[in-house]
Amino acid sequence: MSTEKKIKGQTRNRHRRFDAYQLLFLCLVFCLIALLGTILCTIPENFPGLADTVASLQEQSGVESPVTAVLLNFRGYDTLLEVMVLLLAVIGVWSLTKAPVSNLKTDISPVQMGVVRLLTPVLCLVAAYLVWQGSHLAGGAFQGGAILGAAGVLLLVSELDWLRAVPAFVLRIGLILGPLVFVGTALCCLFFTGELLAYPKGTAGWLILLIETVCALSIGLTLALLFGGGRPEDDVPD
Amino acid sequence: MIFHVDSASWIIAPVILPLIAGLLCFLFNRKIFIIALAAALANFLVVCFLIWQLLNFGPMRSYIGGWQPPLGITLRTDGPALLMLLMTAITGLGVTLYARGYFSHRISDPVRAFRHQRQQRYFWPLWMLLLTGLNGLFLSGDIFNLYVTLELIGISAASLAALSGKPASQRASFRYLLISLLGSLTYLLGIVFLYRTCGVLDLTLLRNLAGNESGMGAALALLSVGLLLKTALVPLHFWLPPAHANALAPVSVILSALVVKASFYLLFRFWFELFAPIVTMPALNFMGTLGAIAILWGAIQAMRQHRLKLMVAYSTVSQLGYLFVAFPLSRITEGAEVWSIVIFMALTHACAKSAMFMAAGSVYLHLGHDRIKDLGGVRASLPVTVFAYGIAGVSLMGLPPSGAFIAKWMLLSSSFASSQWWWVLVIMTGSLLAMIYVFRVMSQFFVIPEGDVLDTPEPLSPLLEWPALILALISLFLGLFAPWPLHILSQGSTGLALIFPGALP
Repeated sequence: MSTEKKIKGQTRNRHRRFDAYQLLFLCLVFCLIALLGTILCTIPENFPGLADTVASLQEQSGVESPVTAVLLNFRGYDTLLEVMVLLLAVIGVWSLTKAPVSNLKTDISPVQMGVVRLLTPVLCLVAAYLVWQGSHLAGGAFQGGAILGAAGVLLLVSELDWLRAVPAFVLRIGLILGPLVFVGTALCCLFFTGELLAYPKGTAGWLILLIETVCALSIGLTLALLFGGGRPEDDVPD
Repeated sequence: MIFHVDSASWIIAPVILPLIAGLLCFLFNRKIFIIALAAALANFLVVCFLIWQLLNFGPMRSYIGGWQPPLGITLRTDGPALLMLLMTAITGLGVTLYARGYFSHRISDPVRAFRHQRQQRYFWPLWMLLLTGLNGLFLSGDIFNLYVTLELIGISAASLAALSGKPASQRASFRYLLISLLGSLTYLLGIVFLYRTCGVLDLTLLRNLAGNESGMGAALALLSVGLLLKTALVPLHFWLPPAHANALAPVSVILSALVVKASFYLLFRFWFELFAPIVTMPALNFMGTLGAIAILWGAIQAMRQHRLKLMVAYSTVSQLGYLFVAFPLSRITEGAEVWSIVIFMALTHACAKSAMFMAAGSVYLHLGHDRIKDLGGVRASLPVTVFAYGIAGVSLMGLPPSGAFIAKWMLLSSSFASSQWWWVLVIMTGSLLAMIYVFRVMSQFFVIPEGDVLDTPEPLSPLLEWPALILALISLFLGLFAPWPLHILSQGSTGLALIFPGALP
């Protein structure tokens, strides 16, 4: 009893000390934010940024949306590496742990099943529309991928049986499909035009749509598998 | 056609080759080692070719997508970048071979063979993507693209550090991931300030625009803090020893020899190219002081450790300090000379430290532990490894003819020339302490355990012993080839003469 009290007292003490540190830390962070904010507000904006340059070259980019033009044409190399970062996240999670399996065998309620049947096709449709819309409005691979990922999460929480039966190799192909097509397109451009990711004249629009579509698939799968929380059962023996 | 000998298109090869290899390593289950080895070899050959290209045709620039700056992203080669690439390629080749030997040895042991198979399965894609990030960082000429490569490096390095699966390593690598993300975000905030002030992201354009404004100061501070976190300069080093010491042996090599150098390289480039006009002497002295503390503190901690791998990890903390002591001495030396100090230090440390971590890993595999006081008798059973450890130790201490000797010599002469004698004391004390912690282990290797009959277990595979020795020998003889790296440095560094206008004596 007494030891318990002691431990409780210690933790309370620690909490109190910790609070003082927290307060100090909070004050410091606040000062830093104030300082940075002041500096940011006092910077005279001499340069219009790159918006004008982007606008002037918009016609050559093959798409009408400036965001897509920057992401997949002007700075496509950045996007290629970002897609690799997403893939890395999955590899990292898979290297750490297996996906948790619930042994609880309960029937899925018909209401949930109905929601899944209703929502999954709609989500896929919305994702496809967002990818298509990326060429002239807000949208694109990442947005479409996010919606696809949501569809994947919906399937995962419903614990459908066939999801567990998907072989790991198929999942791996799905994961690297986007990056691989992206790199492949970039290399093809290199061979035809002499610069990495320099789309040949007139093909930019279609190539961007191709890259966005496969990347959206891979990104959606990536997000869903991250929610899955680990490598599939049959990936490597353990 | 495109791939002429003088074409700039070759620049992207060191990024694209490991990237494709990483994707394939993740896809396939078998023969992954062949893919990784092919990529590491091809990377080495391409880097050699790029150096030849630099010597014959001068620095190259490749505009990705054909878009010129300020809109597009530029990749460029120059002396310092190519030497760092060469360092990565040589060490990377060594690590690839060593990792093969390491995993084969672990898997041949039936106890927990599956776990080691899983580790090998994920090691190769992560290592290849880390190599992509490193090469991308050294070549990139765009400040936002650098952020993306930093992300690639940070996430793959943290995943690699967690690979061993032990609770200690998972805790250490989680902390490493958080620190690395904090560093990246601080760096990103710095970019915001920079972009707001200058309106461009290309490093060459930024250098021309850099002016004396408060925004630039804030950007420099934020970028520096972010990168210092990743470089683990004292007092921000707390995450490094547990993360490096608890990782698998090949991973420790990668983290200690290459990953910390990447963020340091960026820091150095920013301070001496981009922000050179606004960097003040007190700021340089501050960095130098932190470096001096790092040298002494890291060495003292290394002497106090009971485990070999922790000792080597603290030695990294100490050795990183030398890189920062070069900062305050920059004002009196020529630009190219500062570069040569830093590059020599970094190259020697990369080779020597990877040899040392490889030796420590082999000793661990051989004995099943790495307690320093129980290392007796290792010399008899692992002569090549002990030899490699000794040579790597000589390079860390900075004895001639190692590259570190040249670097320390230049540091000493420039601190005498500028009558900043206190740096001399720090450098000498640091070398002396390095000697103590290296010999403390070395002497244990030679102790023959009393009473015990030396059992001779099966010898380790040559892949576990020879890469360490070869890397150690490279670090030892780097000093003899000193004119050659200096020649490369002077080739590419056309802009270096402009670094310190008016500050030269």
